[in-house]
Amino acid sequence: MNRVTVTDLSKQFKIGFHKNQSALGRFTSLFSGIEPKKIIWALKDVTFSVKEGEIFAVIGNNGSGKSTLLRIIAGIYDKQGGEVQISGKIVSLMNLTAGLREKMRVRENIQLCGTLFGLSNRLIKERFDSIVAFAELEDFLNTKIYQFSDGMKERLAFSLAIHCDADILLLDEVFGVGDQDFRIKSVKKMYDLIKQRKTILLVSHNLDLVEEYCHRAIVLERGKIVASGNARAVVDRYRHHNYDIKQ
Amino acid sequence: MSLLYSVKHAINFGFSLAEVQFKERNEGSYLGILWYLLNPILMFGLLLLIFYDRVGGEIKHYPLYLLLGIIIFNYFQRVTTESTICIPVNKGIIKSVNFPRLALVGSIVITHIFSHFFEILLLLLFLIYYKVSPVGIIVYPIVLIFFSLFVYGISLMLAAIHVYFIDLKHIWDFLARLIWLGTPIFYPIGGQKRLFIVNLFNPIYYYMTISRDIIIYHEMPPLWMIAGAAFYSIMFFVIGFLVFSKLKNKFAEMI
Repeated sequence: MNRVTVTDLSKQFKIGFHKNQSALGRFTSLFSGIEPKKIIWALKDVTFSVKEGEIFAVIGNNGSGKSTLLRIIAGIYDKQGGEVQISGKIVSLMNLTAGLREKMRVRENIQLCGTLFGLSNRLIKERFDSIVAFAELEDFLNTKIYQFSDGMKERLAFSLAIHCDADILLLDEVFGVGDQDFRIKSVKKMYDLIKQRKTILLVSHNLDLVEEYCHRAIVLERGKIVASGNARAVVDRYRHHNYDIKQ
Repeated sequence: MSLLYSVKHAINFGFSLAEVQFKERNEGSYLGILWYLLNPILMFGLLLLIFYDRVGGEIKHYPLYLLLGIIIFNYFQRVTTESTICIPVNKGIIKSVNFPRLALVGSIVITHIFSHFFEILLLLLFLIYYKVSPVGIIVYPIVLIFFSLFVYGISLMLAAIHVYFIDLKHIWDFLARLIWLGTPIFYPIGGQKRLFIVNLFNPIYYYMTISRDIIIYHEMPPLWMIAGAAFYSIMFFVIGFLVFSKLKNKFAEMI
């Protein structure tokens, strides 16, 4: 069964829009005429699907539309054209530590982010120990997290995301969080999740990780898919800029 | 996502965020919760000093009249000012998670209901000091529900429009000051017809007068005033909700 089906997806951004954002700027633009805005297609006719029990990677250079694609799938951005069909609950982790509050303790952050990801208070309570244990923060429950290292914060955010009953987990540049041991544990956990027929869709620049752990991948270039298929083969083509499987 | 799930999600997250915002403000500050009371107390003390002899005589229980006016306006001003910038302030989560955006403004309303509660306790002390029966406070939560609905509606509008017009923050700071002066907080409307007519279009005037009638004077507010308050609550809530819902899908791209 397909968890994510994307058909002919397109998205455009109007660049230069922010310039006129002040009330005065808007008012003066009434007299000066509307400033021409450059239209950039962040995504153009993108089509692919991700099955349940699959780890799927989106790779590509900076500005190729990877994060935009993930945001549209997550429902954060509107799309211009095409279809996105989702089957199951999505949990998205784009910026690992975005939801965490620096001046709050681990306990309060778990409550806050748990509800942000849509967990009920009862489930947060039930899973609290497991979230803390996975993040290896048992000894720091009452520490305010501004005193944490970046790695510790990332571990907490990642642990929260995998405890939130996601059917589809969207990860943007977060596959290799923490130290070596934590990374191994994270990968193991992801394999547990896909055994439970969950789906993981990730964006990464870490080609070794994609090659090793993902089943399938696509390469985006200027908003278009230029290669797709088996992760190992796609990474190899991306490394050599040899996109012969074009869509 | 079903509607019921979305509503539960929004309420749960709104309350968690409100709790965190409230703690953030109080923990680590030396006076903590007292900061909330310092503002109305100082404002009250100063205005009482200036106006007690001039206008105080015309109004029964002037100190209570003044304090309740300040408290009610404070709640309105704090929620609306903070809500105006709540979308850019929460940029991080807006750009990375799809959650009910209404909860962001909702959490600010809840946070300030907490602090409003402490200000009402302060009023309670003053009621006892001036030997006025505090029994009217029992009915106040009903007024507060309608007042909060109005505040929520206008805050939703401000939050959504600010994403498109950054200047709105400055405009609103200024407008709020004008509304402060135009609302009978430290003076009575008395027989001033023009001022009365202007205030008919000022929803805060309704909630303030109803609260004073109930809590200080133990009187039933005029029916037209109750109807007006209910009308403004529902109207602003509906408009705010529609404007916010219409614009919210673009927030993530605009910040």
